Amino acid sequence: MERNPIRRQLAIMRQSLFDQGHVDEQFVQLEELQDDANPNFVEEVVTLYYRDSARIILNIEQALERKPFDFGKLDAYMHQFKGSSSSIGAKKVKAESTLFRECCKSGNGEGCMRSFQQLKKEYATLRKKFGAYFQLARQAGPVETASRPK
Amino acid sequence: MAPTLPSSDQASDQDNWDNGRLARKRQLLIEIVLRNRLTALVVDGDTTCRVLEQLLLRSYGVQTQGVDNGRDAVALIASGVKFDLIIIDMILPVLNGLEATRQIRDMGVHCKMLGVTICSGESERQVFLAAGVDVFIEKPLDPEHLVPILRELDGQ
Repeated sequence: MERNPIRRQLAIMRQSLFDQGHVDEQFVQLEELQDDANPNFVEEVVTLYYRDSARIILNIEQALERKPFDFGKLDAYMHQFKGSSSSIGAKKVKAESTLFRECCKSGNGEGCMRSFQQLKKEYATLRKKFGAYFQLARQAGPVETASRPK
Repeated sequence: MAPTLPSSDQASDQDNWDNGRLARKRQLLIEIVLRNRLTALVVDGDTTCRVLEQLLLRSYGVQTQGVDNGRDAVALIASGVKFDLIIIDMILPVLNGLEATRQIRDMGVHCKMLGVTICSGESERQVFLAAGVDVFIEKPLDPEHLVPILRELDGQ
């Protein structure tokens, strides 16, 4: 059990990301790539994700304003978004991406709209949680990490 | 923030399980030390995926290059640059991953190609394999899939 109160709080916050299903094992892999040379690596990657995925979200929004829906294009956008989300371990976002793609494949426009609204909610919720987590992580400072011989 | 192991306080079953899995992953990560200098090309239109895949490879000492579309991948290979490993997504801008893979193979390139993509089903897997990738891996690329391949390429 972590004795430092900030680190304890950070550990609790981290665990809740997993317990609430927001992130999966892939997030642990990101953490494994963080070391003394890149102490803010995870935060930087998550920031990169939100920066780049904002463009995809916008593309999907614009595509959903055009009727009839181009399901092929929507699916391609979501393919990229899902890949990106899975690479940072964004579990709920990834799950909604899967539902969206299923709606695309079955030509279910209403389903796409509903799924996309839910996806944006999960995406925003995760962003908030990451924001709070990394803010606390910066306060806590770097921890010694196991590192691989290079 | 890297996960920390519990102190002398009683660890929960969940802690033990999580730390067991983590220990196994760390073992996978630290087990491999490459004898040879391997090179890899990462072809992915998504910056986050491409950056992470390159970083994962570099963490094992693999020298990497990244391109964000199929056309540039084909052009790079056509220019004579050689790689031990090519990691390629299926859906790519400009020239898709299936066609890029076919063109790379048509050039007589026999290096290991991993199709690393979001999978929608067996048919996608078969199509990518038929295009010429050697292995199909569903994103995200992880050490459990990558390490055995690196070992094989390193002749271990």
